[in-house]
Amino acid sequence: MNKLTSRADLIAALAESSTPVRRTRTWEGAALIIAATAAAAIGASGVFRFWSGILAGEASPYFWIANGLLLMLGAASTTALVAGALPQVGPRPNAPVWAFAMLGVLPLAAVIQLLVPHGHLHEGIEDPAALHCLTSSLAAGLVVAIAAVLFLRRAAPVALARQGWLTGLASGALGTLAFGITCPLDGIVHLGLWHVLPVPIAALAARVIVPPLIRW
Amino acid sequence: MLADEATFARLMAAMQQGDRVAANVLLTEAGMWLERYFRRRVPPSHVDDLVQEVLIALHTKRASWDPARPFLPWLAAIARYRWVDHLRRVYREASEELDDSSGAQDSEEDVVLARISLDRLFARLPSGQAQAIELVKIEGLSIEEASQRSGQSESLVKVNIHRGLKKLAALIEKA
Repeated sequence: MNKLTSRADLIAALAESSTPVRRTRTWEGAALIIAATAAAAIGASGVFRFWSGILAGEASPYFWIANGLLLMLGAASTTALVAGALPQVGPRPNAPVWAFAMLGVLPLAAVIQLLVPHGHLHEGIEDPAALHCLTSSLAAGLVVAIAAVLFLRRAAPVALARQGWLTGLASGALGTLAFGITCPLDGIVHLGLWHVLPVPIAALAARVIVPPLIRW
Repeated sequence: MLADEATFARLMAAMQQGDRVAANVLLTEAGMWLERYFRRRVPPSHVDDLVQEVLIALHTKRASWDPARPFLPWLAAIARYRWVDHLRRVYREASEELDDSSGAQDSEEDVVLARISLDRLFARLPSGQAQAIELVKIEGLSIEEASQRSGQSESLVKVNIHRGLKKLAALIEKA
């Protein structure tokens, strides 16, 4: 009887404090992530200079393929992330997994290029831009990740581990894409290794860091 | 009689706009729905706490319901989220007890997993883990007694309980 009374009291108190609310909309989350990606791209261009060769038609096909796959992974992860930001039951889209698998073709091709006879093993290992591309991509991804976490904190995600992975995949892919427009190195080995590695690193980091930040 | 989906959705839309009367009716009806939901999943002594937790969550996160979508799956998702949270708390408490090397014979907390759709969930655990949980967490045996009964070493009983409870929480979260 006491419990029922306390529940009734709780309901009365909650009802009394029911002020109008602005609904959380998934497109707002997507817009926030897109804006953060654009901000990261502008920031990267400001710091490292936009590679004008992209517009002059100097970029290799690998450049377009690598960045196209990053864009697809970023789009698939962002879509899944904002959809999962609101409580729901039932099957969840697995497009990000397939998009990530498709991106995996690039490092595979890079490794094959490195290992074949007369390959460019030294290029891969002694790439002077490797660390720069890796860290800059992760820094750009951090901007995207912050936007995603801010949105998720406002929403009500119920699968925290999954949202952690998705935040990492989206921020890793979109951050690398944002930085990628400043990088003139467009060989398959460089792109396949150093413009893909930030994605799994970001995913693993976000899987650990994000869930406690979005728990509610 | 419980409200139907359309009534819930109408009340929730009104609550989002600040209608306090609608909020009161909705929370009362949702409370009854949740009571039924949790009655099949946790022992009676835990039902009311969980219902109240979900009602608070419903109120706090009321902006996250989209009127274009049905209300009850949204509520069920929040209820399951809170249920998993509850299981994690039980798991942590169980871990602390095991770290103290004591059995689990004196607390009502320890039988909580016994009530949670156990047959269905246990079928998905390795038999050693299911047996260890059943003996210690449900029958209330000490680690030593469970070890003698199952033929597992005492360390293995502890490890199996740790891993089994963790896996149970993960299974429910994925469900």
